[in-house]
Amino acid sequence: MKLFGKRLFRPHSIWIRKLVQWFFFLLIAFIAVNHTLVESGAGIPFLSSASLHALCPFGGVVTIYQFATVGTFVQKIHESSFVLMVIGFALAFLFGPVFCGWVCPLGTVQEWMAKLGKKLFKRRYNHFVPTRLDGVLRYARYLVLAWVVYVTAASGTLIFADYDPYFALFNFWTSEVAVGGLIILGTTLLLSLFVERPWCKYACPYGAVLGLTNLFRIFKIKRAASTCKADGACSILCPMNIPVDTQNTVRDPQCISCLECTSEAVCPVAKTVVFTAGAVK
Amino acid sequence: MTLNSKSLAVILFVVLFGGIALSAALGWWQTESSKVAATYTEGEFAGQANPADIRGSYTFGDVEKNFGIPAALLAQAFNVQTDDPSTFATKELETIHAESALEVGTASVRLFVAFYNGLPFDLSTDIYLPQSAADILHTRTLTPEQLAYLDTHIAPDPAAPAVDSAPITESTPEADSAERLVKGKTTFQEVLDWGVSQSVIEQILGAPMPNPLTTIKDFCTAQGLSFETVKAQLQAEVDKAK
Ligand code: SF4
Ligand code: SF4
Repeated sequence: MKLFGKRLFRPHSIWIRKLVQWFFFLLIAFIAVNHTLVESGAGIPFLSSASLHALCPFGGVVTIYQFATVGTFVQKIHESSFVLMVIGFALAFLFGPVFCGWVCPLGTVQEWMAKLGKKLFKRRYNHFVPTRLDGVLRYARYLVLAWVVYVTAASGTLIFADYDPYFALFNFWTSEVAVGGLIILGTTLLLSLFVERPWCKYACPYGAVLGLTNLFRIFKIKRAASTCKADGACSILCPMNIPVDTQNTVRDPQCISCLECTSEAVCPVAKTVVFTAGAVK
Repeated sequence: MTLNSKSLAVILFVVLFGGIALSAALGWWQTESSKVAATYTEGEFAGQANPADIRGSYTFGDVEKNFGIPAALLAQAFNVQTDDPSTFATKELETIHAESALEVGTASVRLFVAFYNGLPFDLSTDIYLPQSAADILHTRTLTPEQLAYLDTHIAPDPAAPAVDSAPITESTPEADSAERLVKGKTTFQEVLDWGVSQSVIEQILGAPMPNPLTTIKDFCTAQGLSFETVKAQLQAEVDKAK
């Protein structure tokens, strides 16, 4: 894609994904601003002014326990969160965590910071954390998940909102935002200069849930060993550092279905790394 | 089947927005709570909206819808000057009455609604009402207990200097035996003393009676029972036993 003769996106990247990310980032940002405006009586009509809690699919996940036992939602969570949760799961059963790779605005801003990081550190970017340590740290997001589900069930309120960097991102101008959330958001953005998507890799509870679908998603990232040149391009550029070149099927719970490793993007050989429901040779 | 990025993008949009549209068509897409107060689950008032469930986000209009008390009357009771009382959120009361030494807020609305409609309400905590609300309530039929509570829980008008705020915080004189009222501090022993048998109590609780010195409220809280309902039923028995 070109604008005034200048390339808009890095060659060999999934540019349509970037457009989709922009779209959702702006959409959520507009809704969040409108929510504030409506509360002060100056909202833009025709645009949803829902509270962000109502638009969070993870809100549906944390309220499951209370819904099943008492039949009510956790405070601030509404039916719409449940609907989004179901849609999110349906998509994940088919495609894995596409929500993470294509929709989540927090993932998007981390990628924007990554651009800067790549300018600064070139190829060393995203390869700073020692493999061993990285491997252990990646289990941390399950701990976060367990903690969030537990405290929500025990208290019936959305305690995680006080730490949620996503909520902080779109509410930093309101009094609703908690210091904890801002600090975590700031840390995440700073770390994004060295590591791609640090929040996603090490902390995100929703990513932890969605990631499990990679074990059985219908469409999978597959590598055709017969045509693969084993140049490792896919592995070097995978934002989640998944060694695609050593696997025939990516089942890693960390894959975010961004398709950047496929032959449509970095893999130089046609039809070698593909997103498919069928078999490859 | 192999997907490229463009088809994935299209599918993503179709599933996401199609799913939202579908759920909206089915009436599931609600981004706000429906503002329908929870109902009493048991006892005489089962099925009726419970004022204890009024939240700060409820407007006077929502309260009117749930409890049939006109929004304009609520505005009058709580000294709210507004052109459209039905859009006034109860949590804003706290700002209006911020000056007042005794807090008037959402809890006050709950109390007002309960008294106004003659619904059971937990009086074991101190909740204050403005004089204007008390004046309106005096025109309704209240039990002696409710009247006593009301008279000791008036918040001074924020505009007027607090002339007689001293006696306000004092609670009702301890239930003398003549009064025989089941309250937050009442123990099972007292109810027994008032002539209600253990078996009747157990019938109401639907569970064995604990150590008689336990307060009824604590027991209800621990067991997840509604104190309001249990209280109302016990009170009826106490009155019968007189
Ligand atoms: S892992 Fe979490 S923060 Fe990252 S993209 Fe997924 S939902 Fe968003
Ligand atoms: S394996 Fe491929 S699709 Fe998955 S995160 Fe890495 S680059 Fe994206």
